[in-house]
Amino acid sequence: MLRRLLLTLVSLGLATSLAQAQSKPTLTVYTYSSFAGKYGPGKPVKERFEATCGCELNWVTAEDAGSLLGRLRLEGENTKADAVVGLDMNLVAEARALNLFAPHGVDERDLTLPIKWNDNTFIPFDWGYYAFVYDANKLANPPKSLKELVDNPNGPKVVLQDPRTSAPGLGLLLWMQKVYGDKAGEAWGKLKPRIVTFTKGWSEAYGLFLKGEADMVMSYTTSPAYHIVAEKKDNYKAAAFTEGHYLHVELAAMTRTTKQPDLAKRFMAFVLSEPFQSAIPETNWMYPAKNPPSGTPDALKGMIEPSQALLFTPEEVQQNRRTFTDAWLNATAR
Amino acid sequence: MTLKLPHPGSLVAFAILGLVAGGFIALATFDGGTPTLLSIGPYLWRVLAFSVIQATLSTVLSLALGIGLALALARRSFPGRDIVLAILGSTMVMPTIVAVFAVFAVYGRSGWLAEGLALLGWNGSFSIFGYPGILIAHVFLNGPFVARITLDGLNQVPAEHWRLATAFGFTPFQIFRHLDWPVLRAETPGVAGLIFLMCFKSFAIVLALGGGPSRSILEVAIFEALKIDLDFGRVAWLALIQLAICLSMTALLHWAFTRPPVGHTIRSLVHRPDAKTKALKLLDAVVLALSALFIAPLTFSILTGFRSMLDVIDADLLQAFVTSLAIATAAAILACLLALALASAARRRRIVLRSPRIAAFYDLLPDALLAVPPFALTAGLFLLIQRLGDPSTAGLILLPLINGLAAVPFAYRYVAPHLLTAEERYGRVAASLGITGWSKLTIMDWPVLKRPLAAGFALAMALSFGDFGIIALFGGTELVTLPYLLYERLGAYRLDEAASIGLVIVLFAVFLAHASGRLSHAGD
Repeated sequence: MLRRLLLTLVSLGLATSLAQAQSKPTLTVYTYSSFAGKYGPGKPVKERFEATCGCELNWVTAEDAGSLLGRLRLEGENTKADAVVGLDMNLVAEARALNLFAPHGVDERDLTLPIKWNDNTFIPFDWGYYAFVYDANKLANPPKSLKELVDNPNGPKVVLQDPRTSAPGLGLLLWMQKVYGDKAGEAWGKLKPRIVTFTKGWSEAYGLFLKGEADMVMSYTTSPAYHIVAEKKDNYKAAAFTEGHYLHVELAAMTRTTKQPDLAKRFMAFVLSEPFQSAIPETNWMYPAKNPPSGTPDALKGMIEPSQALLFTPEEVQQNRRTFTDAWLNATAR
Repeated sequence: MTLKLPHPGSLVAFAILGLVAGGFIALATFDGGTPTLLSIGPYLWRVLAFSVIQATLSTVLSLALGIGLALALARRSFPGRDIVLAILGSTMVMPTIVAVFAVFAVYGRSGWLAEGLALLGWNGSFSIFGYPGILIAHVFLNGPFVARITLDGLNQVPAEHWRLATAFGFTPFQIFRHLDWPVLRAETPGVAGLIFLMCFKSFAIVLALGGGPSRSILEVAIFEALKIDLDFGRVAWLALIQLAICLSMTALLHWAFTRPPVGHTIRSLVHRPDAKTKALKLLDAVVLALSALFIAPLTFSILTGFRSMLDVIDADLLQAFVTSLAIATAAAILACLLALALASAARRRRIVLRSPRIAAFYDLLPDALLAVPPFALTAGLFLLIQRLGDPSTAGLILLPLINGLAAVPFAYRYVAPHLLTAEERYGRVAASLGITGWSKLTIMDWPVLKRPLAAGFALAMALSFGDFGIIALFGGTELVTLPYLLYERLGAYRLDEAASIGLVIVLFAVFLAHASGRLSHAGD
């Protein structure tokens, strides 16, 4: 038994070193795990890029955007990453401060983002709005605004994510801040009795919602598309809020330390090209940063379209995150 | 002239202390400056207080369930007992998210309990968020483990003692007082320490079931500092606070209870004379029924993972299984070797050199490994490894290393008492025959040690098999383990597939626990 295991280990090791010995250049791209997973865009993106680049694309994954950044910070200039796919807007200021990323030189005109994008280092590859998702079979009259959700003492119960450990959690914190400003603390206090819990990550919260622990869950406007396309269920819907929805933009960048800057630049250009963008809607369940000429992809048609995109700049997020979090803690941790 | 080599246990102890200290220093001085120590404000005090209270309550309840169950199981036999024992030995290693979903499936708003009550015409509602949810999850994870390890201890009572007890006509109380109690006194502090540490750190459970940030524990703050603030100095500082609290707690437990000496014996399975007492029959029936009522639904809810089993069996799963197996094997080997070295050093100090204080230090060291937040240790060690070599191999080294280190206290629990037993039984004979070193290990210790070592190995392997902790940071497509695959599927809306992968992990843990049970129950 033990010998067989050792053999397996050794052969695994050999296989990796053989793979590395191949003559083709390898582009190492860091991303979060579900992106490179079985159902994520990782596989088609790898195949499509390798078909044109004469190279090998190697995904290296960490759990989520925060872990990606943590890992890059630990590795510093020794990082093996040539590029990173999967940071988000709220981490940009911290990411920039690492001084690890290089200008991408890609034309960013013709993006179909709800905001203007002009950044020579970070490229948006997909985006979506945060939204509360509910089951229309169980909740007939969802709130029409964030204020209605907060104010109605008999309103639906919600399951949220902890803003200290999760991206959507931070998204809602910022959303509340945009809508309520200095009064955000009070609003949290009002909502508190109907908050089932704040989970560590999106997965736990969404799981609790599907298992019926809450009437609504903090997720994305595009979440219903998954249920429609993959499960043929149309009872899950996102609630449109009149104040507008907070925007979530996912980003890619290439590193300053890459030994193959040309290949990395080609990958950056590839990110905004049709082969990459068309893989996004039905794998990552987000809007592509650049729609095809035919407009919004079929899978995402019929999703709610918020009237306004709410967004803090990365610098504002970096400066105020601690204050916002403390206000949230004071209001909810009693 | 002979060169006197230091005892391997001392080397291991120094190596562990060096690694942990090195990791801390690397973290604290990451920015080239002095670490940013933060003051313990009111929020942190509240977090600390809650961490300690929930961990203490969880530990006490887990011990109550576990010890009650162990005593009942020791007195009774019934068909399927082996399988029950294997399940008891495996709950602790399941990924936390599997346990969380199990708790909701049974006790949630639309769970089995709520549905059952609705069928009976009860239309109120209840919420398990807060202490109930946290305690249910922790007791479900840890209570069965206490039962399993306590039962192993109860089975170690020498056959002669039982013969004497029968000959003297001991009452059930006298049996408890003279036979069971010494075992409980010996086993409980160590187990309690382990459970306390596990509960002190289990933040995914506390967040999911706590119902809000008022139920927040120190590990959340550490996680936040590491992954969001990227403030490594604060990570090191918070980790030190955690280490200090956990170590004081386990030290207190070690100090409060001391292990009694063991007798000379060859163990054999005995029929306990108190099994026939009517009152105990009733008590055991109640305890077993209540435990089954608590543990069985939660366990059964995990079996719903069978539904999507066919969807998840593919090359990815197979590869993840092999990867997990390889990492778990390496981690278990490491854990057992380290535990063996530390335990033999502790034994030498305690019996040969008669310095119990230093021995107690060796006993505490494994717990320190569990008290260090794995994220902090990983990040620190990564910084160390990076200075020495290629960072891309870091994951390959760190995964088995961290998992192995985290499993040392568990392996130690199995190994240390038996090494002492061997010394107490045969130490003088061996000394008079001049048997030392390697031959002492193979001739004197091995026969006593091999079964507990195998059991410790299986547990260490299972622990590593279900671990997600650090792979979050250092997984990668080259290192996809089963828990990693589970979270990847969850992140892609595939809850059913995640449940199936969870079931695979739990089934393998049951298999390991069953195998180790067979080993440790076989006759000598």
